[in-house]
Amino acid sequence: MTTRIRHRSILAIGLLGLFLVVVAPFYYVATSSFKLPQEVIAQVPTLFPQSFTLQHYEKLLRSSNFPTYLANSMLVAAGTMGICVTLSTLAAYGLYRMQLPAGKFLFRIILVTYAFPGVLLLIPLYGLLSQLGLVDRLVALVIVNVTFTAPFAVWMLRAFFTAIPGELEEAAALDGATRAQTLIRVVLPLAAPGVASVAIFAFIMAWTEYMFASVLILSDAARPVPVGLAGIIGQYQVDWGLLLAGATVTMLPVLILFSLVGRYFVEGLTAGAVK
Amino acid sequence: MAIHTGQSIAHKDPRQRGPFARGGRRSLLGYCFVAPLLLWLAATILYPLGSAVVLSVQDVQIIGTRGTFVGLENYLRLLSNHNFWQAFGRSVVWVLGNALLQTLAAFAAALILNQRFPGQRFARIWIILSWIVPTVVVVILWRWLLSSSGVLNYLLLGTGLWTEPVGFFSTANAATLSVIAINSWRWFPFMAVTVLAALQSIPSDLQEAAAVDGANAQQRFWQITLPLLQPVLFVLGLVGTLLSFNVFDVIWLLTGGGPSNATTTLPVLIYDTAFAQYRLSQAAAISVVSGLALLLFAALFIRFMSPAQEDEP
Repeated sequence: MTTRIRHRSILAIGLLGLFLVVVAPFYYVATSSFKLPQEVIAQVPTLFPQSFTLQHYEKLLRSSNFPTYLANSMLVAAGTMGICVTLSTLAAYGLYRMQLPAGKFLFRIILVTYAFPGVLLLIPLYGLLSQLGLVDRLVALVIVNVTFTAPFAVWMLRAFFTAIPGELEEAAALDGATRAQTLIRVVLPLAAPGVASVAIFAFIMAWTEYMFASVLILSDAARPVPVGLAGIIGQYQVDWGLLLAGATVTMLPVLILFSLVGRYFVEGLTAGAVK
Repeated sequence: MAIHTGQSIAHKDPRQRGPFARGGRRSLLGYCFVAPLLLWLAATILYPLGSAVVLSVQDVQIIGTRGTFVGLENYLRLLSNHNFWQAFGRSVVWVLGNALLQTLAAFAAALILNQRFPGQRFARIWIILSWIVPTVVVVILWRWLLSSSGVLNYLLLGTGLWTEPVGFFSTANAATLSVIAINSWRWFPFMAVTVLAALQSIPSDLQEAAAVDGANAQQRFWQITLPLLQPVLFVLGLVGTLLSFNVFDVIWLLTGGGPSNATTTLPVLIYDTAFAQYRLSQAAAISVVSGLALLLFAALFIRFMSPAQEDEP
């Protein structure tokens, strides 16, 4: 009985620790973004807001270029998501549902590119995209983001695609469906959770990407959120209220998407590694 | 348990054979499905990789200008460059520090989340929170919490052990520790969910049998759990090293590589050399050398750390 109680209390302390480390900082940021400036920078921090104001959000959305950054990021993330999902689902279907003689080899190549450190490509990709005249264009960011999300997406899709029974495809073939029809009507609906997690993964990665965006985008009007917000950090005397509001708005889309398909996302993330 | 067996399983299982299982046309069609992605990756990874090597033997300063061939000059300059070797060393410290912290935190988290408790499903999903949030948010959050008038300093001063605010980014050592800790905070959930998934794939009767035989929790962890986790840990060790080497934005936005270059790892040096000092060819040479060093690491890691028996046919 005592070991049981000890076990319980260790577990409770551990969970509390995890909560404090992972969730509490975000709570503090989000709630503080609604505090009056004097409370934000008060000597004694307040766990529960003592004041309420929307002035930081008003400043963020009215007197900075933040809305433009948001729109740019949305475009980049949506574009990345569309192309990444298309390329990775097609590849996953070929790799996992058709027994290609070189399938294993191709799969390995894609795995290698997934772990490839993108910073090593910073200089030459910048060179390539500037030769193509794509510097300062959002499409450049879409191209880069697809490169660094699609390989992992293929990896995420593996467990979802290999779990589909072959009979279903056979039945579709007997009914006279072509490969493409089978993919769209039979396989995709069954792999939908996988495709959804890949889509969210691509969106989140594109929404977050900073390094390439910071060198490929030159004009303020084309900046995505991470670069724009980073610019605000260094712009004036640090205005914490403004930055906290910016941080809260920036993580909001990620949180919303994640709360919709978080379960599948974590499943997809780990299913590849644990067979 | 093997990591790359998806294909081989598919080969063996007759049910997995698609209806179009015969004929070369089927293969051709299959390659057509994979081709778009492969072409994309060839154009955006393979080709740039080649052009990085070409760039590194020229003397291009700013992008768009033409360079002349200078042979290995950039490489020779690197090898005698103090800054390069220091950044190299910092990258090693960075990778090792992150590996250590993340492994400890991830295992603690995974072992906790592997228990039964109310809300466990929820916790197993939302643990990943700090990994999915954009880096710039992570940076703002920690700059704020760690600022001289921030919450952490308030708590530290409250203990009475400190008499003045701690400057988390003001000295070389403090800044190094802070960026490693913050990056680990961001990445450990990724490792934790992977380890957790692996833990759950361990059959519970193994644990129970060992418990019946009188093994205590610690013995069970070291002798059953850990060996079974080896394949996953191998992948995490390899991929995690490459991914954590690659981290640039957290460091750059927290410290800019400072104070006095103390947090300038190789990625920061590459960025700085190319886009602040405008020495593109030199930066390309650093990229190539870094790539070769990582390749060597990966080869050694696979050669010596690979799990004993890969049950791949």
